Amino acid sequence: MASPLLVLDHVRKVYTRGRLVRHPTFTLKADLEIDQPSIIGVVGPNGAGKTTLFEMMTGSNTPSSGHVYVAGTDIHRVKYRERDRLAIHYHQSYQVRRFRKLVPSVLLEKSPTSAPMVHLFDEPQFNLQDGYIGFMLDFFRKLRAEGRLVVLCLHPTATWHLEVLAEIAEQYLLVVDGGVTRHPDFAALTNQARFRNYLGAEMTRAADALCAGRRAVPS
Amino acid sequence: MALIEVAGIHVRFGDRVVLESIDLAVPEGEFHGLMGPNGAGKTTFFNVLTGRVRPSRGSIRLDGEDVTGLGSHRIAAKGVARSFQIMTLFDDFTARENVMVGLPGFRARGFDMRHAADGDHGFAKEASEVLTTVGLADKGDVRAKDLSYGDRRALEIAVALGQNPRVLCLDEPTSGLGSDGVRRLAALVGRLKGKLTIVAIEHDMEFLFSLADRISVIHWGQVVARGAPHELQQNEWVKRSNLGRFA
Repeated sequence: MASPLLVLDHVRKVYTRGRLVRHPTFTLKADLEIDQPSIIGVVGPNGAGKTTLFEMMTGSNTPSSGHVYVAGTDIHRVKYRERDRLAIHYHQSYQVRRFRKLVPSVLLEKSPTSAPMVHLFDEPQFNLQDGYIGFMLDFFRKLRAEGRLVVLCLHPTATWHLEVLAEIAEQYLLVVDGGVTRHPDFAALTNQARFRNYLGAEMTRAADALCAGRRAVPS
Repeated sequence: MALIEVAGIHVRFGDRVVLESIDLAVPEGEFHGLMGPNGAGKTTFFNVLTGRVRPSRGSIRLDGEDVTGLGSHRIAAKGVARSFQIMTLFDDFTARENVMVGLPGFRARGFDMRHAADGDHGFAKEASEVLTTVGLADKGDVRAKDLSYGDRRALEIAVALGQNPRVLCLDEPTSGLGSDGVRRLAALVGRLKGKLTIVAIEHDMEFLFSLADRISVIHWGQVVARGAPHELQQNEWVKRSNLGRFA
């Protein structure tokens, strides 16, 4: 059987302060396994650990403990220059290829795949006027149809951001205070008190309206 | 077989990946539009296509011949001409001289200022014909710096056309033009359409959607969508946007 597309096996990233006595200031904990191609929405407040989570998945930052497997390969054991053949990180409109290099590249392995299996889109810049959003969403669907995993992080600050999430994502990861929880659909996500707190009153109303099957904004 | 066949073009500058993977096949005579947000990699792709930047991976074939990694003058010699986002004209030369110095026969003879000034009649006549094509028939003796902005744009295209290219690459041809200038340029490009293969980067969507046979949307250094204008306009989000207006 083919390996799962993405596994975060007891991944912990602890940031500390202090030289002699180290005090943990932030801990990200993630345990998840995604077997099938899918489009996953990632939401959560600033500072909750979304970027750190993405860095773990792309191999750009080393976990304090645990392992990240992309299509069966431990991405942190792959040569830095070849990690983008497993997972690729798009930040806004640019692509990020900066790696924390702790082990010399010669001691690392080659990537078994030539095209990335996991695509992470970190707050892609959407706007409603230029229509690119429609092309981007089709692109996500195309990647998924080709057997890839698409991870999309969005900050819903307008009702149509929620529409984008509800339309495109098949499941969700909610990241709050370094904890990662998985939710099967938009309604389940909207039921989460932590998600509602993060959204605020106005966006929560819009999310409820979407769940009730009404379009959030008249078009 | 398509005239231009681009496969898996990847370009990185240090840690920055500019082009992830670009595939493109343009049949002879097609007008192919390239659109995408700023920083998507469109101009870099043009630089690869015209030999100014060597790709880290991938291949370019022109009429079946592998031209990957050839320098810009070699690619130009194979019939690929381009205009630039920023205009590149000899300001103190007349419009006709600007076209003449780009003529392949003239260039083969080498630069010789004694001839460049009053010129060889054969080249001057050839240059005048090209100027007529772009609607500058009566401006051959005007110095480039004295031309209006719209005429300078047309002259840039004339310089490219003077090379008698098979492929004309236009980098934002309408940039800086007023609506009247855009209309004139659209008429010019409309006349050229079908006579040679055109690849154009353009932000003016009305221009692009009314003229292009097919359009590739580039984002994150990849082609995220491709199709005829009416196909791209079927997308529900596009219908809700400004792009939907041109449907």
